[in-house]
Amino acid sequence: MSDGDYDYLIKFLALGDSGVGKTSVLYQYTDGKFNSKFITTVGIDFREKRVVYRANGPDGTVGRGQRIHLQLWDTAGQERFRSLTTAFFRDAMGFLLLFDLTNEQSFLNVRNWISQLQMHAYCENPDIVLCGNKSDLEDQRAVKEEEARELAEKYGIPYFETSAANGTNISQAIEMLLDLIMKRMERCVDKSWIPEGVVRSNGHTSTDQLSEEKEKGLCGC
Amino acid sequence: MAHEVDLESFKELERDIILRVLYRDQTVQSIEEERVRNLKTHLQHLRWKGAKSSSQEYKEKCCARCQQTLGLLLNRGAVCQGCSHRVCSECRVFLRKTHAWKCTVCFEDRNVKIKTGEWFFEERARKFPTAGRRETAGARLLQSYQRQSSKISVVPPTPPPLSESQCGGSPNRLQELGHFRGFNKSVENLFLSVTTQMRKLSKSQNDMTSEKHLLAMDPRQCMGHTERRSQSDTAVNVTSRKTSTPDILKAFHQEDPRHPPSPVLKQDTPPSSPTHSTVFSGGLRHGSLISVNSTCTEMGNFDNANVTGEIEFAIHYCVNSHSLEICIKTCKNLAYGEDKRRKCNPYVKTYLLPDRSSQGKRKTRVQKNTLDPTFEETLKYQVDPAQLATRRLQVSVWHLGTLARRVFLGEVILPLATWDFEGSAAQNARWYPLRAKAEKYEENIPQTNGELAVRAKLVLPVGPRMLQEAQEDQLALNGQLCLVVLGAKNLPVRSDGTLNSFVKGCLTLPDQQKLRVKSPVLKKQACPQWKHSFVFNGVSSSQLRQSTLELTVWDQAMFGMNDRLLGEAKLGSKGGAPGCTDSCSQSKLQWQKVLSSPNLWTDMTLILH
Repeated sequence: MSDGDYDYLIKFLALGDSGVGKTSVLYQYTDGKFNSKFITTVGIDFREKRVVYRANGPDGTVGRGQRIHLQLWDTAGQERFRSLTTAFFRDAMGFLLLFDLTNEQSFLNVRNWISQLQMHAYCENPDIVLCGNKSDLEDQRAVKEEEARELAEKYGIPYFETSAANGTNISQAIEMLLDLIMKRMERCVDKSWIPEGVVRSNGHTSTDQLSEEKEKGLCGC
Repeated sequence: MAHEVDLESFKELERDIILRVLYRDQTVQSIEEERVRNLKTHLQHLRWKGAKSSSQEYKEKCCARCQQTLGLLLNRGAVCQGCSHRVCSECRVFLRKTHAWKCTVCFEDRNVKIKTGEWFFEERARKFPTAGRRETAGARLLQSYQRQSSKISVVPPTPPPLSESQCGGSPNRLQELGHFRGFNKSVENLFLSVTTQMRKLSKSQNDMTSEKHLLAMDPRQCMGHTERRSQSDTAVNVTSRKTSTPDILKAFHQEDPRHPPSPVLKQDTPPSSPTHSTVFSGGLRHGSLISVNSTCTEMGNFDNANVTGEIEFAIHYCVNSHSLEICIKTCKNLAYGEDKRRKCNPYVKTYLLPDRSSQGKRKTRVQKNTLDPTFEETLKYQVDPAQLATRRLQVSVWHLGTLARRVFLGEVILPLATWDFEGSAAQNARWYPLRAKAEKYEENIPQTNGELAVRAKLVLPVGPRMLQEAQEDQLALNGQLCLVVLGAKNLPVRSDGTLNSFVKGCLTLPDQQKLRVKSPVLKKQACPQWKHSFVFNGVSSSQLRQSTLELTVWDQAMFGMNDRLLGEAKLGSKGGAPGCTDSCSQSKLQWQKVLSSPNLWTDMTLILH
């Protein structure tokens, strides 16, 4: 694998209270391993992973695989590192917001983290995926799934119940975030391309359905 | 709203950890900037191609992109709404499900915007107008920290990040390399930093309360420090691989210094002071990584060691025709066979191990210039069902370079003994990750080419004791060695599981006289049973004790080709080498038994090598 041999560099950032499992979730995703010992993250860290993204077109066809270089930033949840970690919010394109299903306070702090994101992220409505971690500790569960799903719907973000111990839903959560980012980047670029008249005249056209494809045909106008 | 983060506010150990992360990020960013430059250069080339026709605009109407002449009535062209150039129908790109289109250059411009992350920086600039456009938080932190460090201590400033020197030419690069060479000479300071940190703690001038606090905190921090390093060591990602590479290359680089340091560089060397160890170690790491980058670029074949990607194939056994079919479908994410020129012409080769002969080789066609080739070819072997359990399927991917040069890209080895041919899941294709050459795996298997079963007897004439003593010299020449070659098993058979095998025997006497014998050929048998007798006349037991009997098993080739040696075994005094294994010593004991028990048959099983 050559170092610069990828199509996109995508940066995600994991945030949440201290001890919810941010480092373990990223470690499980990149290496497929779990370390039950808790080692608090010092300031900031990142992991890398090379994935292939296949967009599902609106008509069901699978596009050509695109090589993504993921840079997964891991932040310290402790208060004393807050000024350092929020400086890195600005560089991230997508966010994994984690809380601990066995710790209700970490769930209540999700609102505060979303406020921090709205303040420090690159735009007012960044793409976020909410993760309730430690789903394998069923007997110690303190947050009901309905409560978490209700909060996620309120903010309009996807919700996954993950487990860094056994790897449940971790790939799905990150792939969902990647899918949101890929759709958003094409939407941002194509927004300035579609003339407004064409969009109005064609009622079925939607910017959400635009995708990259090279088509050559006869002149339509 | 934008707070200036101060790394000085953290403890020294914490600051060191954070700085190491920032330097790793700097490496990722430099790779990304190189890629962005390449994309923009490619886009510029497309634009230049179209710009050639601008001078001809007044002479005739032609397409602004492919420069074909536009017609008066048919194919008059249309104006691109992005660049307002008139292009022909071939140079238009439509978005799916819309009538909107742009010319090929504008479409490529859109793609470059997506791939370089321009969409993200535009969005971010709307919210944070004052921040640098493509600057990252890590780079900004490093700059501010290095600026503060230069004020505090008398240290020459570290070179600016690569992003700032993006516009600079090669002289700036050389200057940076000079700086890094200066830092490389401070390797001793890196080791001094560990020692001085311990001394600093013991020599601390703080009061007892602070000292106790530090001592209480340090074990946990140190443990966390160690654990974090062990975690990152197991991580398989680009930065870790790059981080581990500098150690080898740094030693290689230092063992052979090509450029002697100039006096100016010597003056630039910072003084070795314990108080600046953190600064030096940070810069040193940075320098090492940069020198590694340049060294990697020079060594063209270095990246060939990388094995990446996966291969998809299906395995099917046809019971009626006794054929094993490997359907090679596709590969993905292969490594470049020629990394400099970014070329990859992959093909797939298979063997049914342990048969590595050219007869057992199957190959696909070569796919040109792709890291994700599609083969859709079926490779077939004629194998008996009983043979499947003893075989391993090796599927390897190779790059065909110029002048028939081949580069190994990865392989998969599957033992067929555990393969479930009956299950329906086995019929479907599956993805297998490619691996590097299994060197250690091969070494673990003891190298044996089968077993040879023989029966031997030394025949001496029986006579009266008186006559035997009187005519001892005459009787010595009347001895006879009988060797019956019974059969062999576990021979390295051909791909179809058969052999045309025969045995050669060579008895070397003490006076270097050689007696040669040969058995008949048994055709198409994997476990031949020759039951053929070798008779060596006119030998005595005293002669045999100093002789060597060599038995070799061969596979007869067709039509004048060379016979293939399958294995060999030696019996005799010379066979007892110092590094002999248990089987050799066992054979030696059996051979001595033959010599010491005349007129009695001795059965032996010889290990072929």
